[in-house]
Amino acid sequence: RAKKGLFCNRTWDGWLCWDDTPAGRITAQNCPDYFPDFDPTERASKYCDETGNWFRHPESNRTWSNYTLCNSFTSEKLKMAFILYYMAIVGHALSITSLLISLAIFFYFKSLSCQRITLHKNLFFSYVLNSVFTIAHLIAVVPNPGLVKRDPVSCKVLQFFHQYMLGCNYFWMLCEGIYLHTLIVVAVFAEEQRLHWYYLLGWGFPLVPASIHAVARARYFNDNCWMSVDTHLLYIVHGPVMAALLVNFFFLLNIVRVLVTKLRDTHRAESNMYMKAVRATLILVPLLGIQFVIIPWRPENRLAGEIYDYIMHILMHYQGLLVATIFCFFNGEVQGALKRQWTQYKTQWGQRRREHCSTRSTSYTATSITEVPVYLYHHDSNNEQLNGRYVEDSELVALKSGETSA
Amino acid sequence: MALLPRRFLCFVLAHHFIAATACQEADYGWMIRHYCLKQFQLSMEDIGQRLWCDWEETVGTYGELTNCTALIAERLDCYWPNRLVDEFFVAVHKQYFRNCSPSGRALHDPPNGVLCPFILLPVLVTLLMTALVVWRSKRSEGIV
Repeated sequence: RAKKGLFCNRTWDGWLCWDDTPAGRITAQNCPDYFPDFDPTERASKYCDETGNWFRHPESNRTWSNYTLCNSFTSEKLKMAFILYYMAIVGHALSITSLLISLAIFFYFKSLSCQRITLHKNLFFSYVLNSVFTIAHLIAVVPNPGLVKRDPVSCKVLQFFHQYMLGCNYFWMLCEGIYLHTLIVVAVFAEEQRLHWYYLLGWGFPLVPASIHAVARARYFNDNCWMSVDTHLLYIVHGPVMAALLVNFFFLLNIVRVLVTKLRDTHRAESNMYMKAVRATLILVPLLGIQFVIIPWRPENRLAGEIYDYIMHILMHYQGLLVATIFCFFNGEVQGALKRQWTQYKTQWGQRRREHCSTRSTSYTATSITEVPVYLYHHDSNNEQLNGRYVEDSELVALKSGETSA
Repeated sequence: MALLPRRFLCFVLAHHFIAATACQEADYGWMIRHYCLKQFQLSMEDIGQRLWCDWEETVGTYGELTNCTALIAERLDCYWPNRLVDEFFVAVHKQYFRNCSPSGRALHDPPNGVLCPFILLPVLVTLLMTALVVWRSKRSEGIV
């Protein structure tokens, strides 16, 4: 091969091949993964000096390649990997707890239930299942290299369900967006919608990308337990998820546009109420989607890379907690229902205590005192029912389902 | 099978040991070609040419060849690896591993012609399904 000028010949140094290099240049390539403490993302380098010979180490006078960076940061990186691992497990455990509490609240308070809450219940349930599968994967498969080496079919099945649940999460968010869109933009004075198609889109459709991913992975990239994330075949699942998020975002922007322009003049109070309903979903969709946008942009700098990793892990693993908080704990109706229940318990407990502790002489006055709060409570609930009926009598029937103010 | 070359080698070296302190490159070159390479050639013939590119089949034999050259280097007080070993292995690779693919048997993505349809199909089906659900919701209100 004709090459101009002085250069060092291509060589094998015992670990890596080094190509022809011009004199006076340092050439680098990624470290090999032969040793457990060698990090393949770090770079090994070799210096070709001005005379056209490879660099010789001054102590031994032998040609020498610089592999020092390959294992110098490994212990720190291992420590950070452990921190991120435990962070992920804690995040999913917190998510499961908060989601189960929210589901309990939604099932217990029958007064809250409407179609939108039904969609919330399905969304929360899919998040719970997703967290369960993720924790199972993190605890059973990830720290177990023996299992990965054996590569049983069960760990691939686990991955399949993991991808399916990921799809379910985002498609239920899409269902929420479509429901709001149909409610507000398409048919403002709507009766209750039929939820069959939403169930199909939320639970049934994610089987399609998950199955196609399983087939493609088994045929073209059949690594042990399908654990590798270095393959573009993952986009088979992530592509539809990103498409769903994008579509959802545009639906929500359209809703905001309609609320701001068309309804502002005619139904100002109602548009404010709808805005409150949309606000929660509008906050959540970008938060859930941003992790997919910034995934390819990991910074090269070590410190920035660490910060990036922490942010990504928080965005990915604490989603359930975020969804439960925004859709349930910050919801005005839920807070009101909880307050009323708490007041009722306090009253009942106070009444029971006075009945236990009081003597005959004081019991008359005591019971008359405790009568009052109970009467107030009943009066309150009457008001509540009246309110509901008042709303139903007016034209804005749809408000009943859109009354959530969070 | 692995023990045989080593014992044979030690036996041979005991007879042919030359008491020199510096490394004699000519001797080293001759020894690795006559002792290590012969063994390697016999093993590769046994494996069969069809499987020469299969790393799992050849890794044992290849390792023995490497160890053999290192052992002789140690006996003759030569540094290892060195220029002769470099040229030796380049010649071995030219003869036995010339036609193997560069990425070896590492897993890699299918070509773009296969990958893109696999990705675009679910995305399109997603968009269609979304449109279907929106259309059905409209229809259930009586508004077409």
